[in-house]
Amino acid sequence: MAENTGPATMTKQDKARIFALFGRHINRNQIKYLSAGHLDVFETRREGVGFTDPLTGRRMYDCFTAAGCFNVSRRNPEVLAALEAAADEVDMGSRLLPSPHKEALARRLSALAPGDLDRVLFAAGGGEAVECALKLARGATGRPKIVSTVKAYHGHTGFALSANGKEHYRHCFEPLMPGFVFVPFNDLDAAAKVIDGDTAAVILEPVQGEAGIFPGTPEYLRGLRDLCDRHGALLIFDEIQTGFGRTGRMFASEHSGVVPDIMTVAKSLGGGLCANAAVIHRDTPLLRGFREAHPDFHETHAGGGDLACRVSLKVLDYLEQNRLWENAERQGARLKAALNDLMRANPRIIREVRGVGMMVGVEYIHEFMGPMMSDALARHGVFAAYSGNAPQVMRFMAPITVSDAELDGIIAAIRAAVRDMKTLLPLALLAARVPGVLKLLNNEKMQTALFSWVRKAEDLFSRGGGN
Amino acid sequence: MTTPKLLEGARQGAHFFDTGGRRYLDADCSAGIFNLGRRRPELAEALKRAARAADQGNFPIISEEKALLAEALAHFVPGPLECSLYGVTRGEAFDAACKVARGFTKRPGLAALEGAWHGETGFALSLSQRADRDLYGPLIPETALLPFGDLAAAERAVTNTTAAVFLEPVQAENGCRAVTPEYARGLADLCRARGALLVVDETQTNFGRTGARFAFERLGVEPDILILGEALGGGMFPITVTLLTQRVNGFMNDHPLIHLSTFGGSDVACLVARAALGLYAAEKPWDNAAAMGKRLRAALDGLVERFPDLLSGVAGEGLLLALRTPSPETARALCAACLENGLLVAAGRAARDTVVIRPSLLVTEAETDELASSLEAALRAVSSGA
Repeated sequence: MAENTGPATMTKQDKARIFALFGRHINRNQIKYLSAGHLDVFETRREGVGFTDPLTGRRMYDCFTAAGCFNVSRRNPEVLAALEAAADEVDMGSRLLPSPHKEALARRLSALAPGDLDRVLFAAGGGEAVECALKLARGATGRPKIVSTVKAYHGHTGFALSANGKEHYRHCFEPLMPGFVFVPFNDLDAAAKVIDGDTAAVILEPVQGEAGIFPGTPEYLRGLRDLCDRHGALLIFDEIQTGFGRTGRMFASEHSGVVPDIMTVAKSLGGGLCANAAVIHRDTPLLRGFREAHPDFHETHAGGGDLACRVSLKVLDYLEQNRLWENAERQGARLKAALNDLMRANPRIIREVRGVGMMVGVEYIHEFMGPMMSDALARHGVFAAYSGNAPQVMRFMAPITVSDAELDGIIAAIRAAVRDMKTLLPLALLAARVPGVLKLLNNEKMQTALFSWVRKAEDLFSRGGGN
Repeated sequence: MTTPKLLEGARQGAHFFDTGGRRYLDADCSAGIFNLGRRRPELAEALKRAARAADQGNFPIISEEKALLAEALAHFVPGPLECSLYGVTRGEAFDAACKVARGFTKRPGLAALEGAWHGETGFALSLSQRADRDLYGPLIPETALLPFGDLAAAERAVTNTTAAVFLEPVQAENGCRAVTPEYARGLADLCRARGALLVVDETQTNFGRTGARFAFERLGVEPDILILGEALGGGMFPITVTLLTQRVNGFMNDHPLIHLSTFGGSDVACLVARAALGLYAAEKPWDNAAAMGKRLRAALDGLVERFPDLLSGVAGEGLLLALRTPSPETARALCAACLENGLLVAAGRAARDTVVIRPSLLVTEAETDELASSLEAALRAVSSGA
């Protein structure tokens, strides 16, 4: 195991100093927001399936993993060694030139990708990969319309944000690009009504992540494939969260066998250390023709850097040598079974458990329970976040290296957190019956204020105590 | 291109080698990323240290790495640009600036200058002068390109629905055309009068490229938003930043986590960037860029005189210079001939008849002369039709 020189402990003064700097130079209210949900932890000794909170000394299981970045675990020693070796030889590399590392990774990705997906373009992150994919789709087809899905999450830059299906992320920045339409996920009839001869592409996540973990059914995905073929539109799978073993297959599309025309990948491609992403597309005459006519239609300055490519190659080695997708499938099934037991025992808290592989979502009865559970889980050593696009849903996306014993630890912590919830619940539910209060409780700003207050009261009572 | 394929191998200082061991002077620097030279050993060590202490981290949470870099940036960058919004690549930083401008002013209008090239992402593409723009369907509405250098036209176009005006101090991709201090100040005054924000995109000019630490300092304007490119990570690790004043950051404070970046401002990137800022502060590469820029400019002026059929002029500042040729074909041929002669350069993306020259800011006199003589050999080759 590589050394870890991060500070093992942190005092309250350290925390206050960092908060002051972060508040002054980055964002004041982000601190409040995170503190309210007990997500104001720091990360030291980042290794294996988690990290240590230096303030409490508490070991935390990482079930958020930057939304799927740490598939091969935190600071995987083999990946770390690859980074160190790469840093002795290369840098980001020139935007203009190929290199053995870029070519090797492109070859590797095209071999791994499903079906005949085999042409690779690099990008610096998931958002940029979506930008590139949508430019490719509109450019190659000469058509304006992009069909996306309600509550979809594709990123925050111009094209990606225009394809984002959540009002929250868009409303301050309108007008965005015309030509983007949104249809309910898993609703083939709705898609059939809008996919037509003007449609450049349909873009979707095979398992909607940020929306609250909704797997696309095989019938839906096959239906979309047929609709796209019939109208000459391109099918784009955004596998940014689902890729690289997360769902129990190397890529989520393998569950249905539907091969898209274009696939975007990012997150775990960088091994949790580097930034890297890619667009992988089929070598059809349409796409090939466009790229030959416009070889520099999307230039990336930071994507596919030599250093990142060497790290990515090691990530893929590690995934394949350890067949991590199999572990994701097995441990994911165990987690789902345990959560289903919890749901049966706690029908007033948990509405539904959904997921594929180690991409599992728990939907609570009320939105306000998301932040409450984040809080309860944090106290029991699980770092998990509710979905940005659906606060009533909590995602559990542990590193897919997770062992039996580690998963048992995660399950025990979730059980304990649900027990805590039960003691707080009567009060909240009673309040929720008063007209208007439920709406208030489900309001994000209200939650921040309320939980900040609760947090202060707790600190008051537990002063000097550990937990 | 008919040249045999060149694969990038080792790199050091102003140079890199192909996998066959042949040496090239990098006068593209990945569009202004390798300001401190290729694979600086100090930054390689900083990266290794960073990876021993941290990883990218969980992006929505608070970290000491993010906070300390933001503090260092607030001190390094002149003026009241105290707040950081991180990205991983320049287009992302530009799009973030557009979003903050709209969010802060609650106005839709975004205006850049003709000849601008701000990046490849949706907002950046919508505000760039690109021949291929129409290929990508209807882009961001309420965007406009103002006639360059024309204050009267700006007076008419910038209204009380304009959120921001974007300017590059030197249009690197458009023949290195520089804005004058008078024009920049005129735009700044106009923005203030109309309640719009002034955004300066320094992705190509930052950290000394034009002979000043930041190009906006010489223009005598105070941007409300400043965009810094991947040179922030010294070419070792990608990170960019959109810097905001406290006033403008009020919008982000009111909407925390409304603009996210998984890799932007990762903990490792922040640690490397802090080491790079240390090198920038210690080595002041802008001084060398000013001196070597003068030397290179003199050499290029000489080449324009000697090859009037191939070159019609030089423009730019410091070590961000462009040669104008008669046609995009000539520029392409010249780039290829330069590569044959051990020099990596690229044609401008907006003005495709130009060749942009932007070597490491730490080039020596000998390397500057090497650059000029490689260019001369390439010009001779193109001129003789070789």
